[in-house]
Amino acid sequence: MHKTRSTLVFLSPWLVSFGIFWVFPLVFSLVLSFLRFNPLRPDTTQIVWLSNFATAFKDPLFWKSLTNTLVFVLGTVPVTTVVAFFLAVAINQRIPLRTLYRSGFFVPSIISVVVISIIFKQFYSPLGLVNKVVQLFGGEPKSWLGEPRTALLCIMAMDVWASFGYYTILFLAGLQAIPSETYEAARIDGSGFWGTLRFVTVPMVRPITLFIVVINTIRSFQIFIEIFVMTRGAPLNSTLTSVFYLYDRAFYRFEMGYASAVAYLLFIVILCFSLAQMRYLRMGRAAGE
Amino acid sequence: MQSRGVEVWRSREQAAEEKPFEIEKIMNLRRVFLFIFSFIFFAFALSGCGREKGVRLTFWQFWPSDVIEPIITEFERANPGIKVEMQQLTWQNGFEKIVAAVSSGTQPDLCELGSTWVPRFAADGVLGEVTSEVGALRDSLLFWESCTLDGKIYGIPWVAGTRALFYNKELFQEAGLDPDSPPSTWEELIECARRIHSPRNGVYGYGMNAGERYVLFKKFMPFAWGNGGRILNQDLRRSEFASGENLDALLFYCSLKKYSLVEKQDVLDMTFKQGKVGLEISGGWNLKTIPADAPDLKFGVAVVPKPKACCGVHASFAGSEILVTFAKSKRHKDALKLARFLVEKQNMIALCRSAKSVQPTFRGVENDPYYDSNPLERTFVVQLSTAIAPPPHPRWPEIEEVIESTVEEVVYGVKKPEEALLEADRKISSIVSNAER
Repeated sequence: MHKTRSTLVFLSPWLVSFGIFWVFPLVFSLVLSFLRFNPLRPDTTQIVWLSNFATAFKDPLFWKSLTNTLVFVLGTVPVTTVVAFFLAVAINQRIPLRTLYRSGFFVPSIISVVVISIIFKQFYSPLGLVNKVVQLFGGEPKSWLGEPRTALLCIMAMDVWASFGYYTILFLAGLQAIPSETYEAARIDGSGFWGTLRFVTVPMVRPITLFIVVINTIRSFQIFIEIFVMTRGAPLNSTLTSVFYLYDRAFYRFEMGYASAVAYLLFIVILCFSLAQMRYLRMGRAAGE
Repeated sequence: MQSRGVEVWRSREQAAEEKPFEIEKIMNLRRVFLFIFSFIFFAFALSGCGREKGVRLTFWQFWPSDVIEPIITEFERANPGIKVEMQQLTWQNGFEKIVAAVSSGTQPDLCELGSTWVPRFAADGVLGEVTSEVGALRDSLLFWESCTLDGKIYGIPWVAGTRALFYNKELFQEAGLDPDSPPSTWEELIECARRIHSPRNGVYGYGMNAGERYVLFKKFMPFAWGNGGRILNQDLRRSEFASGENLDALLFYCSLKKYSLVEKQDVLDMTFKQGKVGLEISGGWNLKTIPADAPDLKFGVAVVPKPKACCGVHASFAGSEILVTFAKSKRHKDALKLARFLVEKQNMIALCRSAKSVQPTFRGVENDPYYDSNPLERTFVVQLSTAIAPPPHPRWPEIEEVIESTVEEVVYGVKKPEEALLEADRKISSIVSNAER
């Protein structure tokens, strides 16, 4: 009894901030999602039950934003994971300048996303680096972020570049936890590089892979800053993602209730994805063991 | 009064010139003052006899401190009982900040708002009504329609901004065009753009906005307005967006695309500064940033071309910045005092001179001697006289969104112009008919 009390005292700073900044907004926005709420006119607040959700299902822009977000997630997460995995395997070998690579890959993770977005906006601009390279190979320059077909792809490419380093380091930690005896045994059994990778490394890093895929998926679903800085959903809503869509509804149209409903719909989508991933990747491990 | 104001302004300018030599001294002085000040403050706080003396006014605005601070200092000198606490907002997130402050009851006493925001705030009942208090100002200032809703006035127009045609004189020369006669009709505009356009060499004829909200309508509507088109009818209850005038403008705008770089405003401005864009419609901020970023660029400013030499107007977008008070504010009177001070002729001119991106809102400003020696800024003032403000409808942000997505869809070839206009007309109609006033 005494112990629990002192534990609680020590935990209280975190519990208080968790309560104020996480639990309260979470519950508050859940309540909001059943209301029509204009922050400027609290007097007109009205309970509308599920009509916010119904409106979302009927709004083509909601579906457009969700589709874009899905394209973003399905396009970036596998690429980032694979790239990060192979780079981790590479820098886990004895190669010259290993530390330089390790820290170099990690650099993008410590730069603010806003800064990265501004830099890439310059790269993609008409007289930017990308067009310089295109011209070097005889192509015609174009405005990468101004074209509906390329805008989202450009942001996806940027996201892969900005995030793989962090996951590389996570993979590296996972790789280094694999006992060297296992590799030795594999070598004695006559397994080559790819064989070892396929039957030793991949199964052994499965837990960390699960972790990486899940957190990267959650993060990618919530993409906002890149969009806010670079395109604001344009052109032709081709980069309109869910979070930007709900931000726009909340702060430019004052539809806080509706925005909260969209946020909760996104929450459900993310939850389903995470559960599916955990189930699939865990099952895989059970079978492999 | 007026001449005194000008004198003070001049002496301030001199002071600004002397500043660099004294910076260290001032910094030291500041530190000493800060120390003394905080000591006194704590002494008062501890002894419990800290008495609130005078009034503290909070003023939220969008100007950098070097532009606005001299004017505020002046105000505080003239009104010893009032201390102004300023906060600088940004156009990127100022709107949300104001919304958040109003909904939590921490709104400022006086606030600068973009004119397109005012009807919405007014319709929600958060702004203080000033109809009976602005009396004499109504004849000397323009742009009252942007702060009026249902016949009631909710703010005082402070400064106004418009968009004009920027053109690169060097590219004109290279293309065999006369750098001193900018295009004044649609046909001339497209001809200039065509002759300059050479994307292989990274040179573009016209800088066309697309893919950006809150900006695109300011670049398309000048052509529609110039052609006599409108968005809403006079009493703002019906859409007139699908008119033949608007269709012509839209078709023209699309035909420009062939000779254009299609990009966002900041990218267009940047590319223009790099000397790679022949013409673009942009704002007065360039008059400040071009000399700083690209001092060698030879450029001119002209009014937006009109449809034909015989007919139409050189229309453009007119946006104003409105000083508002909030319904919940307690220091309404003092806030208005500050507002009145800010819209005094010499203070407005002082602000516009250092900001460059805006023009004063008082009538007949183009006759001010300052503009004789600053022809580029004068062009903006002239443009402002034929510029048109978007309809002050409370649901303007939604209307704006419809216009922008329509123009965008047509420019990118997703929809046919006629169909797109009809669809937009339907959407705007339903927005204005559902509006609760």
